[in-house]
Amino acid sequence: MRCLVIEDEVDTSRYICKGLREAGYTVTACANGQDGLDLATGADWDVIVMDRMLPGRIDGLSIVEKLRRHGNQTPVIIVSALTSIDERVSGLRGGADDYVSKPFAFSELLARIEALLRRTAPGQDGTQLQVADLKLDLRAMRVTRDGRAITLQPREYRLLEYLMRHEGQVVTRTMLLEAVWDYHFDPQTNVIDVQISRLRTKIDKDFTPMLIHTLRGVGYRLSASAPQSGV
Amino acid sequence: MFKLHGSIAAKLVLGYGLLGMASMVAVSAVFYVGTIGVLDQNIDGKIVTLSDRLLEQRRSPQSLELVREVNRQLSDGIDSDREIFLVTGADGRRLAGNLTAWPKADGGGDELLTGDVVRDGAATRARLYLRPLAGGGMLVVGRDLGEQEAIRGLVWRALATGAGVSLLLTVLGAALFRQQIDMRLSAIRRTAELIEAGDMSRRVPVVGDDEFSQLNRDINRMLDRIELLMDGVRHVSNAIAHDLRTPLSRIRGKLDEAVRHPSVEVLDNAAHDAIGHIDDLIRLFERLLQIAEAESGLRAQLFESVDLNRIAEDMADMYDASAEELDVRLTLVLSPDVAVHGDRNLLASAVASLLDNALKYAGAGAAIELRTARGAGTVSIAVCDNGPGIPEHERGKVTQRFYRLDKSRNLPGNGLGLSIVSATATLHDGELALEDGAPGLVARIILPVAAETSGA
Repeated sequence: MRCLVIEDEVDTSRYICKGLREAGYTVTACANGQDGLDLATGADWDVIVMDRMLPGRIDGLSIVEKLRRHGNQTPVIIVSALTSIDERVSGLRGGADDYVSKPFAFSELLARIEALLRRTAPGQDGTQLQVADLKLDLRAMRVTRDGRAITLQPREYRLLEYLMRHEGQVVTRTMLLEAVWDYHFDPQTNVIDVQISRLRTKIDKDFTPMLIHTLRGVGYRLSASAPQSGV
Repeated sequence: MFKLHGSIAAKLVLGYGLLGMASMVAVSAVFYVGTIGVLDQNIDGKIVTLSDRLLEQRRSPQSLELVREVNRQLSDGIDSDREIFLVTGADGRRLAGNLTAWPKADGGGDELLTGDVVRDGAATRARLYLRPLAGGGMLVVGRDLGEQEAIRGLVWRALATGAGVSLLLTVLGAALFRQQIDMRLSAIRRTAELIEAGDMSRRVPVVGDDEFSQLNRDINRMLDRIELLMDGVRHVSNAIAHDLRTPLSRIRGKLDEAVRHPSVEVLDNAAHDAIGHIDDLIRLFERLLQIAEAESGLRAQLFESVDLNRIAEDMADMYDASAEELDVRLTLVLSPDVAVHGDRNLLASAVASLLDNALKYAGAGAAIELRTARGAGTVSIAVCDNGPGIPEHERGKVTQRFYRLDKSRNLPGNGLGLSIVSATATLHDGELALEDGAPGLVARIILPVAAETSGA
């Protein structure tokens, strides 16, 4: 996976690049808008991570707009200290695929990058999702594990579906809130954790291996393999 | 008297003064033409008619008839003190008339002119009609303009006096006007100076109901708002200074200890703890920004039609697991037609905050109701619990940033929840009402009904 990072702040740039390399990405970094635009248009990338505010005449938003105007659909994630909803909206309207506010946990950024890559290239077939012996029938809206039917409430079903569609990826609480309830705000309390722990009771309690893993301070990952250490 | 430059009053009065003068000049001109002008024309007409009548009789100077007629005119006692006649012979000799001296001007044909003449030995100004006679010689018919000149002078003097008086009045009016405006403005300026010097409690005195009073009221309202905001800012900076110190010193302590006794496990733990605390701080700042954003009104641009029932259902759905875990009964009571014009994420976040509070403070085993209702022109969404409630004297304070009922600060939270809910309600032109649920608390977000015409 080739990733372009456009970020002028040296520490942040290093932080992102290091994390992405550890996650197995090939990373190219640059530090200003003009270089960023040249690189972005000059080669094929799987994903572009860029700062909203860049030195020079070209800022992040105008790079996205130029790319989209030329029909370039490379997924773009904007990383910005401008956190207001207005900024977020203008970023997304400008053509960016996601918007992450600084300061951020790297795992949040990675989770969103992976969600984007998955979104642009859907993997599982259209009628059934499967992770280990957990199966979710999208047509009948039925869930079974090890052949035994599991009864889920509609919301639990949507949670599980989202987790299964992002199998092996880190999913943050905010992402779950957006995907399952379609709201964008920061849940202050453990409301999402309680929902997950309920789901876990139904999915994992009487079975092995454990499928829903908690990543401390980050979010959740559904996978058949043992949890990797949190990033 | 006052500087023209920089004084609106002076400029206004000067403008109006000039306008007044111009209209006076126009009126005077009309008046002048209507009196003196008409008189002048009258005189010319009379002279011409009279001379025509005289000449009809005989065109010859030698004619005794003409001389006799002139003498008769001069002695008939009608208007004779103003009439001027002169008949000369071909040799220029005076045959009849009351002119002692020749009119200065003499031309070839009929001629109307104004000139200085000597009549019966007295110099005077006269209007004269000179007409040559057939056999040489000349007939002069004229009229003494002395009286005319006197009237003209009178009119001019009257006009000049009027102009002078009106100029004086203009200047006086300007001074008075200026003084009035100065008086009213200086009240505002004094208040502004005092406020600038730091006394935020000062207000502009409001007397009566004229334009200045309205302006003063507006200014006072603005000052109220500014004072409120400044109080808020002051309170927030104090609270931030206090509330940030605690987690920061905790982080510092842990890291410090970890550095002094380094082992992978200790460092790992310390790092994770630090990240956790720092995330809390970041969240705190995000909440503060959220309040600022709501209070600035910027988000109002993104408003859409929002169904409060939908939000109530979604939030109940989101919180039912948390409620169940605490053995809390969460029920929904919905009324139809509760749409508002607003930001669904902010409203949902506000309702979530209220539910958080209810769960946190009403505690295990409580009953919570999430209600929507429609009133006159308003709709509301309320979270009602049967917990301990909020004492009446505290209700006004809990919406302040960082204010916490739990003085020991044992329960999790940052004291921002209700202030965000309140700011959100205000952003939507509504309010957060905290009422006694007897027992418990009713936290109600009251919002204006979505305008039917907006169609948004």
